[in-house]
Amino acid sequence: MANLKYVGHPAQRVDALDKVMGKTKYVGDMSIPGMLYARSLRSELPHARIVKLDVSPALKVPGVVAVVTSDDFMNHSNFGFPISDMYMLAYEKVRYVGEGIASVAAETPEAALEGVKAIICELEPLPAVFDMAHALDPDAPQIGPNRTDGNHPNYIGHYPVYKGNPTEKLQECDVTIEQKYETVMQEHAYLETEGGLAIPTPEGGVVVYLSCQSPFIPRNDLCKVLGLSADRVRVIVPPVGGSFGGKDDLNYQTAGQVAALALKAKRPVRMTFSREESIIASYKRGSMRMNIKLGADQDGTLRACEFRSLYDSGAYSSQSPFTSWRASIHAMGAYRYEDCTVDIDTVYTNTGYAGAYRGFGNTEVCSGIEQAIDEMADALKMDPMDFRLKNCLKVGDVTPHGQLLSESVGLTDCILKVRKMSDWDRKRKEFASQSPSAEKRRGIGVAALFHGTSLGAEGLDEATATIEIHSDNQVTLTSGLTDYGTGARTVYTLIAAEILGIKPERILVHNPDTNTAKDSGPTVASRTTILAGNSVRVAAQNLIQNLDWAAADFLKCDVYQVHRVGEDYIGPSEEPVSWDIIVKHAREMGLVLSAFGRWTAPEIHWDEEKGTGIPYFAYHFGAQVAEVEVDLKTGHTDVVNIWAVHDIGKVIFPQGAYGQLYGGISHGLGYGLYEDLDYQNGYAQSINFDTYLIPTSMDMPEIKGGFVEAAFSAGPFGAKNIAEPSMVPTAPAILNAIANATGRRIRKLPANLERVMLGKELTKKGSPFSCKVALKIT
Amino acid sequence: MLINFNLNHKPVSVDAPADITLLALLRDRFKLTGTKEACEVGECGACSVLLDGELVNSCLVAAPSVMGRNVVTIEGIHAEDGGPNDLQRNFIEKGAVQCGFCIPGMVLAGEALLSIKSDPSRLEIREALAGNLCRCTGYMQIVDAIETTAKARAEKHHPEKRED
Repeated sequence: MANLKYVGHPAQRVDALDKVMGKTKYVGDMSIPGMLYARSLRSELPHARIVKLDVSPALKVPGVVAVVTSDDFMNHSNFGFPISDMYMLAYEKVRYVGEGIASVAAETPEAALEGVKAIICELEPLPAVFDMAHALDPDAPQIGPNRTDGNHPNYIGHYPVYKGNPTEKLQECDVTIEQKYETVMQEHAYLETEGGLAIPTPEGGVVVYLSCQSPFIPRNDLCKVLGLSADRVRVIVPPVGGSFGGKDDLNYQTAGQVAALALKAKRPVRMTFSREESIIASYKRGSMRMNIKLGADQDGTLRACEFRSLYDSGAYSSQSPFTSWRASIHAMGAYRYEDCTVDIDTVYTNTGYAGAYRGFGNTEVCSGIEQAIDEMADALKMDPMDFRLKNCLKVGDVTPHGQLLSESVGLTDCILKVRKMSDWDRKRKEFASQSPSAEKRRGIGVAALFHGTSLGAEGLDEATATIEIHSDNQVTLTSGLTDYGTGARTVYTLIAAEILGIKPERILVHNPDTNTAKDSGPTVASRTTILAGNSVRVAAQNLIQNLDWAAADFLKCDVYQVHRVGEDYIGPSEEPVSWDIIVKHAREMGLVLSAFGRWTAPEIHWDEEKGTGIPYFAYHFGAQVAEVEVDLKTGHTDVVNIWAVHDIGKVIFPQGAYGQLYGGISHGLGYGLYEDLDYQNGYAQSINFDTYLIPTSMDMPEIKGGFVEAAFSAGPFGAKNIAEPSMVPTAPAILNAIANATGRRIRKLPANLERVMLGKELTKKGSPFSCKVALKIT
Repeated sequence: MLINFNLNHKPVSVDAPADITLLALLRDRFKLTGTKEACEVGECGACSVLLDGELVNSCLVAAPSVMGRNVVTIEGIHAEDGGPNDLQRNFIEKGAVQCGFCIPGMVLAGEALLSIKSDPSRLEIREALAGNLCRCTGYMQIVDAIETTAKARAEKHHPEKRED
């Protein structure tokens, strides 16, 4: 791809200026005349029947204007995809601590809270199940919806991958290992908490400014629960203060509540969450218990993998059917196997609830399989890099799913590059000769990954963009996908500028708005660059064609005789003509100066019973190395260095790509070392940043990043994805480094002080007190 | 009660309850929404402002305690023409901004550091940012932006030290 002018070159993020000046308005910064403030009554019990719910006392509280419950919606406010097991506000039962029961709108936040406290809500406690291992016991209390297929109501699904018979193959292998690995729940910790602002419209509809990822999902949900047609409901996504997978379901409930309140009060209504309310009420990364068996021959050939796991979705299914499916596809890691099976079972419990979070299942399984791969390398007395290089996927390989990888597999290059950058071979040797009595010990570890691009075989995968040149020659773009901090709008801008041959400053990308953009599916699965980017590319190509005709007409030549220098058009006369003149000429010719671009992903398929197929149309690959210093006296692990090399196909916006890489690594470092949103009997044990610790600038090492560009032919300029996979291998690389340093392996995340020093965790006794108080303070 | 102080270099006077925080005063009374609310327990730094030049969490400062003092918020940080100053420009250039929610606090933390230390090391920059959480960036490009600004400012003030 010769002579790219904007794509791949340093650029300025299109929304950065307002952000550094403090001018950006997030939902919580927006204020409308006459606006009311909303607050939700939330469950203080993990599982209970709603015996009595009387909101009339709330309406007598001075300043309270409206109250809503599930009775104020169609079909009791039921929604959810792929399983409709949620409600905008609880109906008949509550299933986790923090679940919304009623919502109050008042003149002030204080009055709204007084209204919440005045509601008479009698909850009859029900037996609960908190341990996923007992969710399917015959006498386990029912959490999930009734089902007619004979399965336990607490059973969400089974997600398999089947190739051959590893149980038999393992018997033939020279060396086998079997280990259990466990992960815990992780809080997204977006700095901006949840929020929504609903404004009633004159024709009886509602406009909702919502901090969320995918505006068309709440638009459709609102139509359903409010009984309004699509033209009456408009969802706009203002700037979002981080999401990482976390601003789906709970924010859709927020949208439902503020919209219903605004319609009832006939006034604008805004709801924003305190940090405590956010952590208690929101969904997390789910926890997983894995059992992994690997078999290999003495020469280092990996032959068989048998992976079994249980995944806890908590009180609602949310995205867990998809998370579990993605986990199953990636469970065996980026390696060749003769035989490989994966079985993941997903269940309901009353432990909060789990939904989407960066990596979406792969982060969880990668922490297991990449440790198992290291344990196998140890058993074979092989260097972990050599073992991975010998067995990792390459072009021409067939994956355990049965997919032939025909292009864009840069894993070997990633491993070789990160090995060199980290000075792996020298350090590995040096650390092996540390004194066994040293209190501070260094270690170095590696983890590799693959990560399927976009949704995978879950359904139709396409996106649409629109582009338009206005009368002042300003170019505007829309996409149905959201930039919630990722840099996607800058990616669209650079792609459009490249194809149109105009400066990026001419282009304005609108915020996602269901009235002006086209539904492009959810903004998830690191699909924005490839899906929305491709749709922008197609839209720009459709637009430039008209300008090319206009240029040829103006320059009195054939289209093929026109070329571009900078923004100018040049014909046989060699006289440059400005872009503005060509645009004006196109307008005079009556040519259309707007275009539409739709891109549909290559067809893929998955057989859910047989566990085979083509799960994703392309894969991201990468490898990270972590160097740690472990203090054996305190258990403290200092991550001294991280090197990361990822194959993202093509770098479009370099600062953005590195930003995603570094940021993902910070989530992975927290996941590996201290993040644990622990629940005791259904109550979150950390509800603010004083006890839920995320990495600070002092915890993060200097990161050395690099990219391999194994172009994907259908990607925009060859690009694949980066957002999620950047975090996936960090935790196992750190865990492998700790094992290298200490000789002891920690198979349950996170590797906190207790686990590193004592090899076990200290008993904690949680109290529901803090959760209950936090739900009723200003 | 009546609170008189200098806000972004201008004297202001506001009648406010005595029991509210500086954060609430700035956001609700002065509509200066660049100062963000994200934890309200002094852990995240999103509400950072400069109080007499020192970085503080405005959620932990009682509004009356700013009487007679100088408060600078992100709205008070800019170049003479009202556009971004050199530090803010470097945040943009280095790709230090993602979702942007922590960025006002980060810019103020950078300014607070550079006002007392002209040539901070990367570790010293990291120490100065330790009270400001960012979930998006992993801090690398924020450190880059502050480091680059420090070097450029030092060169501007001491051009003779320039090594070519």
